[in-house]
Amino acid sequence: MLPLISAAGITLFGLRRPRLAGVLSVGAAAGVAVLSLLVFTGTPFGEWWECSAEWLSVGELNVPVALRFDPLSLTMGLIVAWVSFVIHVYSLGYMRGDRGFGRYFAGLSLFLFSMLLIVLAGNLLVLFIGWELVGVSSYLLIGFWYQRPAAADASKKAFLLNRLGDFGFLVGLLLVWSKTGTVDISELECKLALDPGLLGSLATAAGLLIFCGVLGKSAQFPLHVWLPDAMEGPTPVSALIHAATMVAAGVYLLCRVFFLLALPGSAALELIAWVGAFTALLAAVIATQQDDIKRILAYSTLSQLGYMVMAVGASSVSRPPVAAMYHLSTHACFKALLFLGAGSVICAVHHEQNIWRMGALGKKMPVTFVTFLIAALALAGVPPLSGFFSKESILASVLESNVAARHALFAVAVAVAALTGFYMTRLVAVTFFGPERTQIAGQARESGMILTIPLLILAVPSAFAGFWGIDSAYASQFKGAAVEHAGVFGRIAAAFTHSPVATLWGLGAAIVGIVTGLAVYWNAATDRLPEKLGLVAGWARNRFYFDELYAALNEATHEFLSRLADGVDRWVISGIMVRGVHGSIELAGRLLRLTQTGNIQIHAVLLGAGIAILLLIVLQH
Amino acid sequence: MDPLTIIIAAPLAAAGLVAVIPGNYRFLIRVIALLATLLSAAVAIWVFAEFEPGASGLQFETRSVWVKSLGIGYHVGLDGVNVGLVLMGALVAFAAACVSREIAERVKEYYVLLLLMAGGILGAFLSWDMFGFYFFHELALVPTFLMIGIWGRGDDRVYATYQITLYLSFGALLVLVGLIAVYVQCGANTFDMVELQRHVAQTPIPAAAQRWMFPLLMFGFGVLVSLWPFHSWAPTGYAAAPTGVAMLHAGVIKKFGLLGLIRVALPLLPEGAREWIPVMGVLAVGNLLYGGWVAMRQSDLNRLLGYSSVAHMGFAFLGLASLTVLGVTGAVVVMIAHGFLAGLNFALSGYLRRVAGTTQMDRMGGLMDKVPFIGALLVMAMLAGCGVPGFANFVGELLVLFGAWEVNKTWVVVAAWAGLVVGAVYTLRAVRTILHGPLRTELATVADPAGAWHRSAYALPVVALLLFGVVPGLLIARIEPDAEAVSGTIATRIEMKAAGEVGSIVRGAVAAAGVGVRQ
Repeated sequence: MLPLISAAGITLFGLRRPRLAGVLSVGAAAGVAVLSLLVFTGTPFGEWWECSAEWLSVGELNVPVALRFDPLSLTMGLIVAWVSFVIHVYSLGYMRGDRGFGRYFAGLSLFLFSMLLIVLAGNLLVLFIGWELVGVSSYLLIGFWYQRPAAADASKKAFLLNRLGDFGFLVGLLLVWSKTGTVDISELECKLALDPGLLGSLATAAGLLIFCGVLGKSAQFPLHVWLPDAMEGPTPVSALIHAATMVAAGVYLLCRVFFLLALPGSAALELIAWVGAFTALLAAVIATQQDDIKRILAYSTLSQLGYMVMAVGASSVSRPPVAAMYHLSTHACFKALLFLGAGSVICAVHHEQNIWRMGALGKKMPVTFVTFLIAALALAGVPPLSGFFSKESILASVLESNVAARHALFAVAVAVAALTGFYMTRLVAVTFFGPERTQIAGQARESGMILTIPLLILAVPSAFAGFWGIDSAYASQFKGAAVEHAGVFGRIAAAFTHSPVATLWGLGAAIVGIVTGLAVYWNAATDRLPEKLGLVAGWARNRFYFDELYAALNEATHEFLSRLADGVDRWVISGIMVRGVHGSIELAGRLLRLTQTGNIQIHAVLLGAGIAILLLIVLQH
Repeated sequence: MDPLTIIIAAPLAAAGLVAVIPGNYRFLIRVIALLATLLSAAVAIWVFAEFEPGASGLQFETRSVWVKSLGIGYHVGLDGVNVGLVLMGALVAFAAACVSREIAERVKEYYVLLLLMAGGILGAFLSWDMFGFYFFHELALVPTFLMIGIWGRGDDRVYATYQITLYLSFGALLVLVGLIAVYVQCGANTFDMVELQRHVAQTPIPAAAQRWMFPLLMFGFGVLVSLWPFHSWAPTGYAAAPTGVAMLHAGVIKKFGLLGLIRVALPLLPEGAREWIPVMGVLAVGNLLYGGWVAMRQSDLNRLLGYSSVAHMGFAFLGLASLTVLGVTGAVVVMIAHGFLAGLNFALSGYLRRVAGTTQMDRMGGLMDKVPFIGALLVMAMLAGCGVPGFANFVGELLVLFGAWEVNKTWVVVAAWAGLVVGAVYTLRAVRTILHGPLRTELATVADPAGAWHRSAYALPVVALLLFGVVPGLLIARIEPDAEAVSGTIATRIEMKAAGEVGSIVRGAVAAAGVGVRQ
């Protein structure tokens, strides 16, 4: 509740008082972080509890505001709380001096509230409410600098695409409620465990519809086009919302309703896995040719999310999606770090975002450089950083899954790992190494402490989270086998012995990607890839023309329908019917008036004619 | 004097008072109008708080006979359905009076008519006598012609005023015929709704008669609520109306038809309902989809809001058409929430028109910098309009969707699409065009309303929307028992008819049995 109070407080009082806004918001975030830690440590391992309050209860629909604290939500909540707190502090520095300072923090607090609502939701409707509110906060924050048309358009696009996903989610929810009679998560789990056939043939449909929500929120294909545009928002917003938390909400939802997706007879999971894999590949390819530092990271996020979704799809009841949540957690840390680092770089080069106008920043911004490098290597999956362990677990779970096409999926995953190494190397090499490409780059200096300290804080989990047993925490949620590890080296060794094929392929791919990247981009003055790959590079640069395709599709369908409706309204309903009625009454009036000529002879004739007609009628009967 | 009569009488008495004050005492006139509507609002709030949810029978009831031979009387009372509506109506009327300070000429006549409108519609909401119900509504409707014609805006205001008055009068005519038909067919020699319901429970109206009476009432009331395809009067009318009138019309007067359906058509004509309700459901979806699509094409803010209002009524109709507890409760919540929303929308657009000189959205742009308060409220209003949680509209729409799901899944899917996706398209487009983007140079002198007093009129509906959105129990606890009774009685009476039985049913047992019997 704390962030909600903060958001409300800032809106009412703090919009013109930056200090108050900052204090309230950061204070709330800190409070949440501390509380989450307390609750996490206070709850015995593997257990869960709930609390709820009456909210909406009509007829057969009962929606309490229910909060559920189980390992999944507690662990995720912990990560969300702490990453948010770090980013709140970072924002104090990044947004200093901005006119909308108060408004920014109000939005940030609203976001934190909604995200926590999603994570801690005990029933699907409360989750949906949090889901929508997160979309609203995202809208407000992406369009923060609303005077810029690009930002205003981007926020509108994000909200609309999210809404498309929400539509599917809601219909799926309705389906589930009508068949099972409840929206409460624990009740659903029980009912479906007792009677797996409860949803009947609609199980796949329900699962896929809920997955629609994930498509929107986690920007999977085909609803992925809003995320790169969302980079118009301030960088901390990109870090918090579009790297670490909101987009992860989709994966979280999938894990939450996993029991629904894994029903026997439901083909949902396989499709989910393929959508995830496709997104991962598509985004990775596009990322190799982007020049804006934030867009590269955005596409990287898309790709990693695809990874996570694929991991969920590859799971089953006996092999729960622990890997996906594991990667989600580590990704939250190192991706946030990457974005914040990018923000630090952008600040230093006076808001230039094109990497080909940077260069040699490594020596001038040591802290930023080192933390960025750690995060980049973690993303690429280099041991012993956290990303290595989580990626390995995903690769292993895909290879060992029950999915029929698992080798194809695995091949895609490995290819993506290679591409990841490649584009991250490109990014690091061009930005931090090589010649100074512009004068501004030459004048860059390390950023102030308020920006660098959060970077250092986040570097710790990015590096070491592999050793903290996050996966065991998640495993206890699903009553799956918790893997025991012993010591630092024990863990690393376990990664290799646990699933050697997967790990070796993953590591190999990463190395291949990194080496290729270095070969092409070390000390590069310009991007040489377009010449070599020609057409494909062009497609990647233009994001495979998806935005244009969607715009055209939208024109052809929705706009067309609305033009049709407008036409009908103007011409048929208003024109023919309303004015027609008006006109015909008027016409009738005019015609009748003609009989009132005031001329006695005419009246006599009409009188006679009328009598004659009446006589005829009477005599007929 | 009982509180409900005060609610009705305050604006009407004030209208009379203002009529005798010379026209140039403008300040005094405004103060009287504000005080009268404030008094109504305050009493309405008190009555809302004091209402006991779930108690049987009407509360705060007053009854007196007027024309004994015809069974016409003055009967006002509160039940779960109209307690929220009265609250909304009184508050929106107060807000409408507040924003009417922009009226500069013939102030006295304007306020007289406005107060008549307010008193009329509040009377209609509170009436339990069919005659009074209709009479008060006409009292609210007739001034429309003058108000839009004289104080309206835009080039087509004369055409608009003719259209809206004639169209709505046509609808009211259908309603009148229907009401009289009900009176005659019931044979109970009374216009009192409570007594009629009791009478019909024992001796239902013949099914054949119901089959032609129900469509009369349905389309009659439907026209009054802009049921598709009888909606054309709404956007033109609201665009041309002065702000206060638009607020009252779109927010309050429009709900009369829905209330009529709940009070008269559904309980008294269950057989007819069963036959014609599917038609209403389809038309409701038409409202939503069509209204949304046309709204997307509008470049004038008022017309966009008008079509948006048409679309929202689709949710209310859908809820009623579902005949379930969830659906009917949702429909009432939508009515109340939309009342506040429409009031807010038109107030904001009126303000924008005043400061920007136009309601054409493409001539505005980047206003967020200049009018942050109004801008923030507009964003909230638009978000509420597309059903974002935290506002009361979300609660209503959710209930309607859930309630109608069992009845017809296609309707619900289409309705959800229209509400969630299409709704977001045109509302966000409005925000984008008006508030975002670079500021146009000709708008550099625009500013927010100054002072808390002037801002409160705009803030009031938002507070209500947020309040009922976050604590919907306030509304639902009051609405649900009576919604249950409405949906229950219909379902049970249909059952009874089908089984050929006739028996007397106690209202409470009906409510309990009705939910289980739901088809």
